[in-house]
Amino acid sequence: MIIHIIKRDGRKVPFNIEKIANAIFKAAQSCGGTDFSVAMETAADVCRLYEDENPGKVPTVEEIQDLVEKTLIEKGHAKTAKAYILYRYERTRSREMKTNLMCVLNELTFSAAKDSDIKRENANIDGDTAMGTMLKYGSVSAKEYYGMYVLEPRHAKAHREGDIHIHDLDFYTLTTTCTQIDLKKLFTNGFSTGHGFLREPNDISSYSALACIAIQSNQNDQHGGQSVPTFDYAMADGVRKTYVSRYIANVGRALQLLAGKEDGNDIAKEIEKELLEKHSLAPVLANDNGYSEKEFEFLLAQTDEETAKKIQEFSRKNAEKETDRATYQAMEALIHNLNTMNSRAGAQTPFSSINYGTDTSPEGRMVIKNVLLAQEAGLGNGETPIFPIHIFKIKDGINYNPTDPNYDLFKLACRVSAKRLFPNFSFIDAPYNLQYYKEGNPDTEIAYMGCRTRVIGNNYDPSREIVTGRGNLSFTSINLPRIAIKSDHNVGLFFDKLDEMMDLAIEQLMHRFRIQCQKHVRNFPFLMGQGIWIDSDKLGPDDTIEEVLKHGTLSVGFIGLAETLKALIGAHHGESEEARELGLEIVGAMRKRLDEEAKRTGLNFSLLATPAEGLSGRFVRMDAKKYGIIEGVTDRDYYTNSFHVPVYYPISAFEKIKIEAPYHALTNAGHISYIELDGDPLENLTAFEKIVRCMKESGIGYGAINHPVDRDPCCGYTGIIGDVCPCCGRKEHSNDVAFDRIRRITGYLVGTLDRFNDGKRAEEHDRVKHNV
Amino acid sequence: MELRIAGTANDSIVDGPGIRFTIFTQGCPHNCKGCHNPQTHDFNGGEVVDTAELLAKAKENPLLDGVTFSGGEPFCQAEALAELGEQIKALGLNIITYTGYTFEHLYEHRAENGWGRLLGVTDYLIDGPFILEQKDWEIKFRGSSNQRYIDCKASMEQGRAVECEP
Repeated sequence: MIIHIIKRDGRKVPFNIEKIANAIFKAAQSCGGTDFSVAMETAADVCRLYEDENPGKVPTVEEIQDLVEKTLIEKGHAKTAKAYILYRYERTRSREMKTNLMCVLNELTFSAAKDSDIKRENANIDGDTAMGTMLKYGSVSAKEYYGMYVLEPRHAKAHREGDIHIHDLDFYTLTTTCTQIDLKKLFTNGFSTGHGFLREPNDISSYSALACIAIQSNQNDQHGGQSVPTFDYAMADGVRKTYVSRYIANVGRALQLLAGKEDGNDIAKEIEKELLEKHSLAPVLANDNGYSEKEFEFLLAQTDEETAKKIQEFSRKNAEKETDRATYQAMEALIHNLNTMNSRAGAQTPFSSINYGTDTSPEGRMVIKNVLLAQEAGLGNGETPIFPIHIFKIKDGINYNPTDPNYDLFKLACRVSAKRLFPNFSFIDAPYNLQYYKEGNPDTEIAYMGCRTRVIGNNYDPSREIVTGRGNLSFTSINLPRIAIKSDHNVGLFFDKLDEMMDLAIEQLMHRFRIQCQKHVRNFPFLMGQGIWIDSDKLGPDDTIEEVLKHGTLSVGFIGLAETLKALIGAHHGESEEARELGLEIVGAMRKRLDEEAKRTGLNFSLLATPAEGLSGRFVRMDAKKYGIIEGVTDRDYYTNSFHVPVYYPISAFEKIKIEAPYHALTNAGHISYIELDGDPLENLTAFEKIVRCMKESGIGYGAINHPVDRDPCCGYTGIIGDVCPCCGRKEHSNDVAFDRIRRITGYLVGTLDRFNDGKRAEEHDRVKHNV
Repeated sequence: MELRIAGTANDSIVDGPGIRFTIFTQGCPHNCKGCHNPQTHDFNGGEVVDTAELLAKAKENPLLDGVTFSGGEPFCQAEALAELGEQIKALGLNIITYTGYTFEHLYEHRAENGWGRLLGVTDYLIDGPFILEQKDWEIKFRGSSNQRYIDCKASMEQGRAVECEP
């Protein structure tokens, strides 16, 4: 007699023949059967049959079900057998639905993004679209697979349970995070995107178009952001070329009009050719290279002195005007393109950033001015552009003081940022940035990836401490508040536990790094194939990328320093001096550990102030469930961003900057500080500039000022809008049109609050604005 | 000295040029239709604080360009504000005062209620009641187009309102 049965999950439970009979009866009922005793008889037959074939063995559920099917068919109950098989299949399917992956896919398929936090995990993806959902299918399936088959079990456990967070886990075995693209190098001699070759561009409009293509192509080889660290210097070449062609065209025109030369254009081109070939001279915006003087001699062969002068003046004036206009249009096109090409899996525009502000050449200045003006103008209907992130580099002697050559552009940058939230500001003079700076070499000027990533120091090759061609390989964040909660106010114990967690994170980063190293150049047709990544141009398609990857960074990040301090000593670093000291000690210890690891391995281990989008809610949800609601620690829907003073805590802008600045020096993989302003800073640029200057003087490396940017799509007004548009007096939701409200999230702007995930929505709501 | 206030705002960028510390006095006789801060009208509302506390707060913030007296009607507590204003000016900060009265009215009665003294420490005066029908969202730091941004020192010297650009 059968006494036990083994369930699907391996448990041995008492056998109950009625359950078998019930299942059979249900199947029979569905095709008209009414007699339970037949079902019972069949069940008894199944038992006998099993015992005959497997004396003394404990059956599994599957074995019994197989026998039921067989018995039903043999006894002539074909219809019931069919119904039974169907019933079995349904049950199996519903069991699978209950497993994690199937549940998630189900949610992705049938829930609207507004009801589903996974669909809003990343604010720049529209989870309601086909491609957005397809992207999520891939992403969640990859995560599930890696968790089960690729990760070391202890890393998978730590990630699953929320001790650490492995960022971009869905790309674990596929690629690296981000790159700072050297456009100048890429454009020289042209490049290929896979379906054809693009010649070296010859005009600012093609420079800007190819910049977008480069960003887009590289985005398809990586999961993180794409940045251009020396945008002004790279684009200046395009302006230079545009000026030459416009100048020559104008000389040709002037020769026709003023000197009566019908073949003016040909003459102009001949003069240009001659001067370039024999004297290596070309017209330049600054008009300071002797071209004019030499050209004058040639013009005298065509006309009199006075007319020659007129021709030159006319050409210079018009060429400059036309070049300026062309540059503006090129920058406008760049911004429009980067906001519209949803080329990343069809659901996302590339995460693009551009750094500029320090090129003092007339061409570079023209680029900076026009990219700022294009940003100020906004998109087609005056909307605030979300991409690229603009980062204005500030440097003493270049654009910081009223006597500096680019000071006017710094003022313009403040004005544009006061309207459009971008540019953000980076500070080359912060000591930890200045140490790399070599005058005249833009590659040594600090650059930031929009989200805050910073890559410049190079432990692997100290002779290459540059920004271009390099980026982050991967990063993993530590749940600091949990370590604090577990340490139960014991600071010594906290540091011991932190050490252990750092070891685990470093070990996991190395595990991922070893997988990344096995990849070949051919896996990254653009990033490596076109020599974007440093030294990859020296490799062949079948070479592994191990050596060149060593120029990249491996970063450990953290979240919730404020909650950590609250849990440990009852106050955060906004509240007490003791907390400020302990905070620096904690972050300092993490940095020290990573410096040691870098020294030991020769790799670029660095410490990141994590931009915690998906993470801000995830960690705290798990901790609140595990440890209950702890005041000031788990009582909100989010953990505070990295080392920030909590957004809900009222503090003056000055104090916030002073408290956060020292952490910038410690977090060498990237950092950002925000100041929230209430009111329209466009009406008060003095105040805006003052805060930027305060950041610089306090040793901040990268900072931005947040203020409400609302827009009424009906009348086009951009500014602060409450319930009623101050321009047209329209109420929100009248004629079913809501106001656009642009806010910042992990450094990227997001067009509407709907795409914020739950943690970030709560955080935005709590932000204390500086002023009433 | 004691001052009845509705509250303060640090790092304000909407109460005059630059970064300001704003003191909202409590109590206002004007009752303008559509007032932005109706909770400040009651002369018995808010809280009473020592002006020394307010001075200390202004001292703490090195980013400040100045202090703004708003309200409420600051001229209802002119003596206390004038004294505080003198101490604030000694810190190198400027003073902006909002009022629902017109400059002409205040000037005429400058010998009464300490009004002359408060006008004396005020660098810029934003005067006039808020008139809902003249509401204008395009003018800086003001609510309705009848309100003026006045260079107070020049106006006192000349005995007439001298307007200027903020």
